[in-house]
Amino acid sequence: MAHQLSIFVENKPGKFEKITKILGEKDLNIRGFSVASSGDFGVLKIIVNNPEKAFEILKENNITVSIRNILAVQIDDNSGSLHNLLNILSTNNINLEDCYGISVAYNKSAVIIIEVEKYPEAEKILLANNIRILNDSEIYSL
Amino acid sequence: MYWEESIETIKRDDLDKYQIKMLNILINQAKNSTFYKKRLFNYEKINSFSDFQKIPFTTKQDLRDGFPYDFLTIDIKEVVRLHSSSGTTGNPTVIFHTKNDLDEWSNLIARCMYMAGVRKEDIFQNIMSYGLFTGGIGFHYGAEKLGAMTIPIGPGNSKRQIWFMEKFKTTVVHILPSYALRLYTHLQEEGIDPKKDLSLKIAFVGAEPHTEETRRKIEELYGIKVYNSYGLSEMNGPGVAFECEYQNGMHLWEDNYYAEIINPETGEVLPDGEEGELVLTTLKRTAMPIIRYRTRDLTRIILGKCSCGRTHRKIDRIKGRSDDMLIINGVNIFPMQIEQILMKAKELGANYIIEVQKENFMDKLYIKVEINNQFFNGTLEELERLQKHIIEELKNEIGVNPIVKLVESGSLPQNEGKAVRVIDHRK
Repeated sequence: MAHQLSIFVENKPGKFEKITKILGEKDLNIRGFSVASSGDFGVLKIIVNNPEKAFEILKENNITVSIRNILAVQIDDNSGSLHNLLNILSTNNINLEDCYGISVAYNKSAVIIIEVEKYPEAEKILLANNIRILNDSEIYSL
Repeated sequence: MYWEESIETIKRDDLDKYQIKMLNILINQAKNSTFYKKRLFNYEKINSFSDFQKIPFTTKQDLRDGFPYDFLTIDIKEVVRLHSSSGTTGNPTVIFHTKNDLDEWSNLIARCMYMAGVRKEDIFQNIMSYGLFTGGIGFHYGAEKLGAMTIPIGPGNSKRQIWFMEKFKTTVVHILPSYALRLYTHLQEEGIDPKKDLSLKIAFVGAEPHTEETRRKIEELYGIKVYNSYGLSEMNGPGVAFECEYQNGMHLWEDNYYAEIINPETGEVLPDGEEGELVLTTLKRTAMPIIRYRTRDLTRIILGKCSCGRTHRKIDRIKGRSDDMLIINGVNIFPMQIEQILMKAKELGANYIIEVQKENFMDKLYIKVEINNQFFNGTLEELERLQKHIIEELKNEIGVNPIVKLVESGSLPQNEGKAVRVIDHRK
């Protein structure tokens, strides 16, 4: 199963930058990210080429971080394909806890990072519907 | 399991008689000082506590006004030490001791430590400030009197603290509660599990107001027993009242101090069990007796006998200082009430700051509290739920709607000394 890092950040100048600095210094490459904010604080989610290592390094720097399961699925970069993916999930009653997209190759394909409650089930359903799920090394080397 | 069985378990009647006797001796002794010579002009022999309670209170301001020698009852050549408050605002409060005063005080602390289970075999690491402050030196002399090997390390330098704990298998520490919590994060960083890798059994915490929840948190983190102690420099320092093994209130040593609880507004003496301001009288100090001293600490006498067999009455955990009280839009709030709620949430760290300011002529209460790294599950929903829950709990406890800000771990200022928790911008 692939992982992303979820980081608690205060909504203040320099807080996100502190994270990118720590990761950059250790040659960790961010492949994708999303930020959700709730006023004074928020949660930063990042896909990084070596999540375990990045997790340890952030911990050492006293950053509030947790590591979370994700599915990364590849879809075509054209109209209707995201709708198709969401439709498969909703008709099978799989609730999205969070999701964000990364455009990989302009006009060709995009990667959608999704978080759900039931992983094996979601994975099975997506595969049955011919949706391509990236394996760990594919995601980390996007 | 008593240090001095006959004194600790003395019958109440006998203790009362003893106190009356000592109060008379004290009054005579006190009259040798410039301050009490005037104050006690009309008081000869007292036959009852109600006689004694006619004597006016002594306040901190009296002590300041009497700086430096108005309270001294003996020739300076008999004095062997002084302790003093920092005196950053106005005159400091200075307390003088004879050799015998120090012996009595050390003995009291030995009694306290023994009561909590400390023995000659123990290794005692004293992580409190030495110097003018009474906490460090007080415990130092008490531990030596008891016979435990004492490491006078003082506060700060967490690496060295941990090194000593490991090398000398420290079993007992005396530490500020806020520092105990911070030291734990250093232990974690060094990969040391205090439950497995250290020999700690007992911690004495004090010098800072703290809640039952904080105590339990320290006990849980270290796997030790934590005992609350009460003292103030005007009454020597630590050793005035102390918890026994039952950890349910602090036995106030009534052979050394006469205690009353009063209504802080009217000065009326309250019956046992009612909450009010603690008023203390030294019964044995020769160099500088203090009569009916207003401690400004709010507590109550705990009713009923203690299972440990000691007859000295117990006081409850200090609820706060009367001058710590915040008035927010007319509502009285003690910082301890806020801490109590914050410490209950495992998702929150131990460091917090309370700020009050005026906005549009209204008081606004801000609480900044650090997140506990270990319990972060990575979702915004969980953080929002936590924030809402804390606001709700606080609102129920203090009756004021606070603004709670969750902040990153380690982002609030840390002090080596007493933690500064409350900033009132209205002042």
